[in-house]
Amino acid sequence: MILIAGLLAVVTALIALDGAGAGSLFRHAYFLPVVAAALRFGAPGGTLAAGAAVLLDAPFVLPAIERSGLTAASLDGLVTFVMLALVGTLSGALRARAVRHRRRYELLATLQRTLADEVTLDVALARLRSALAGRLGVDALVLVARDETGLVIAGGERVAPGSLVARVLETGASEFVRISRNGAGGRGILSRRAFAAPLVAGGQTIGVLAIERKGEIPAEERAALEALGAQIGLALENARLASRQRHFAAELADRVSAARRELEELDRAKSAFVAIASHELRTPLTALQGFSELLATRQLPSNEVNRLGGIMRREARRLGRIVSDLLDLSRIERGLEPALCRIPLAVEPAVVTTVDLFRQGATTHPIAVTCEPALPKIDADPDALERVLTNLISNAVKYSPAGSVIRVGARPRADGVAIDVADSGRGIPAEALGRIFEPYYRVPDAAGAARGTGIGLAVVKALVEAHGGAVEVESAPMLGTRVTVLLPAAQGPVP
Amino acid sequence: MWALDPFSQPRSGRLFANTPLPLLATLATGAAVTWALVDRGVLPAWALRVAGVTAGHGALLATALAWARVPAASGVMVVVVLFLAAWAAVHGVVGPVTYLAPVLSVVWLMWRGRLTDLGLGTRVSLRALLTGAAIGALLGAHLLVSASRTFGLHVRLDHPAEMLGAIGYDVGANVLAAECFFRGALFNRALGRWSFASATIGSTLAYVVRYLVDPLLPKSAGLVVGAVFYLALLGALNCWLFRWSESLLPGLLAAAVFFAAYRSLATG
Repeated sequence: MILIAGLLAVVTALIALDGAGAGSLFRHAYFLPVVAAALRFGAPGGTLAAGAAVLLDAPFVLPAIERSGLTAASLDGLVTFVMLALVGTLSGALRARAVRHRRRYELLATLQRTLADEVTLDVALARLRSALAGRLGVDALVLVARDETGLVIAGGERVAPGSLVARVLETGASEFVRISRNGAGGRGILSRRAFAAPLVAGGQTIGVLAIERKGEIPAEERAALEALGAQIGLALENARLASRQRHFAAELADRVSAARRELEELDRAKSAFVAIASHELRTPLTALQGFSELLATRQLPSNEVNRLGGIMRREARRLGRIVSDLLDLSRIERGLEPALCRIPLAVEPAVVTTVDLFRQGATTHPIAVTCEPALPKIDADPDALERVLTNLISNAVKYSPAGSVIRVGARPRADGVAIDVADSGRGIPAEALGRIFEPYYRVPDAAGAARGTGIGLAVVKALVEAHGGAVEVESAPMLGTRVTVLLPAAQGPVP
Repeated sequence: MWALDPFSQPRSGRLFANTPLPLLATLATGAAVTWALVDRGVLPAWALRVAGVTAGHGALLATALAWARVPAASGVMVVVVLFLAAWAAVHGVVGPVTYLAPVLSVVWLMWRGRLTDLGLGTRVSLRALLTGAAIGALLGAHLLVSASRTFGLHVRLDHPAEMLGAIGYDVGANVLAAECFFRGALFNRALGRWSFASATIGSTLAYVVRYLVDPLLPKSAGLVVGAVFYLALLGALNCWLFRWSESLLPGLLAAAVFFAAYRSLATG
């Protein structure tokens, strides 16, 4: 600034000393400070320096016009005025244009840097806004972008319906408005400009870049802002896609890891199951084999034959139950429902019959049966119901201390019948409750307490749900467990 | 930020919308009739000066007020006040003070918040006022130096009453009307349609033409060139001041200071 002022003063002094007045060749030296000011301060600086040069040269040119009229020399002086103004303004404008181009490239680099990190959309917009605000030289800047939940705004609170930003979001077309300090329709001097450009990605308007400035937003800058909006839109979309891809990859890795763990657990469970099932199958088979050999090779009294026959029948039933469970499990694992033959069925006789079988076979636990009167008939497969009850009572017997009472009851419900099997056993830990219906799953500390394949409750659940019912479990550690089976009542007139 | 607030349509319409044509026609007719009557000796010469001031400056001021959406009655009132001030000044009733009347009437309108569209009644910083005064002083000083070198004229302050009368006329009629119309009304409207540069060129050209057609301006080439030079600079700088400060007051101050310098020369 001082250098430019000094140069203007020196040139003026040289013209004065030259004594040639309007025709002094030194007047051309004014171009030096004018161009310097234009290159340093842009169009305003160039124009101002040119104005100063004209003011300084005028006292030499105007008297010449007054003295001699519009001579060639004085006209030359006036042309110099015009040239100074043109050179100052145009070279300043060109310099400003070059600066704008440089800033545009810097902006693009900033854009890439800002969105390189994996951040949430609101953080990305806030960073972008602070990076752009200084570089664009605006009084206010707002960035709005759409996400899955709504609009994310950097530089404001909310987008009012009908606002400039809302209009651009709606139409996808940029808008330029000349406004006063009080807004577009407000009174006052229209000294401010607002411009809003859409952020575009994949042909869709995903947001808006809006700026306000006291002063001009020339057409060229508006075009550049539109291009910037498109680039921001693309960068945001790329960042969003990259983020989504990273999330997807991480989620996939988690899922693969979880699936691998599940498979490993399943593999272990199946291995354990094979061992247990082999054992479970061998026990009744051994009994059948042993007792049948006795019957075949020895002459036994009839009461002994009856006793052995009873044992063999129980073991054969047990064997049949295990095989049925395995077949049902196989169907379940193939995504099929268990095969049912449903008929209207009276609950109390079915419950009593199953309990009687247990009473005959296991005398270690007393079993109390309480069926409320007027139970409606249910629409069920008798064999399936027997297997459900057998599994539940069998579990109750296995996991409760000898001598404790097993309570089996049935009560009517609004839409069917609820059958409860309750014991006073060890109970099920809360963390295992959610998994007891998974095939092969056994409560960790239960494995050593009693024999079992880990498929009984899975089969129970599948059978009950195949009837359109549900199974509920309540359990308190060391107090006992109550399993409630809800089965729908038979529809229509019941014989 | 305004862009997030409910959007109301910007002011639009034709550039010369709301021009008070009946009032302008009345003023033109009045001036023409007065000129004819003075020419035929029916009216004294001073009547033409009163009519000229009223018609010329009254037309600019009334148009500026109408463009600023001030009720027509206020425009007529200002014209009447201007007429009375011109009449009183010619008859030397209370000297240059008479021209304070149009200023006061504009201040009254400003006080009522009617002139915000002209940039009057809005906030203005001391810095802007000082800048305006500095621009006026710079141009005025340059004018004094240039006139001294060109015409050999010097500052003379030995006729204070005459000089104050001229300054009063400038403040209350010449500068007030020109700035209200060419900056507050015309430039502001142009700024709502075009770029700053285009609006400045348009407004400044109109401003310069207004003085070139002024019958009081001497027609010598030197004076015309000088007038164009200074008025163009003053006009352009006042446009910048108007946009920068968002107020008309700094421009009014710049023009008043410049014309005061001119009067110190012209009355010498």
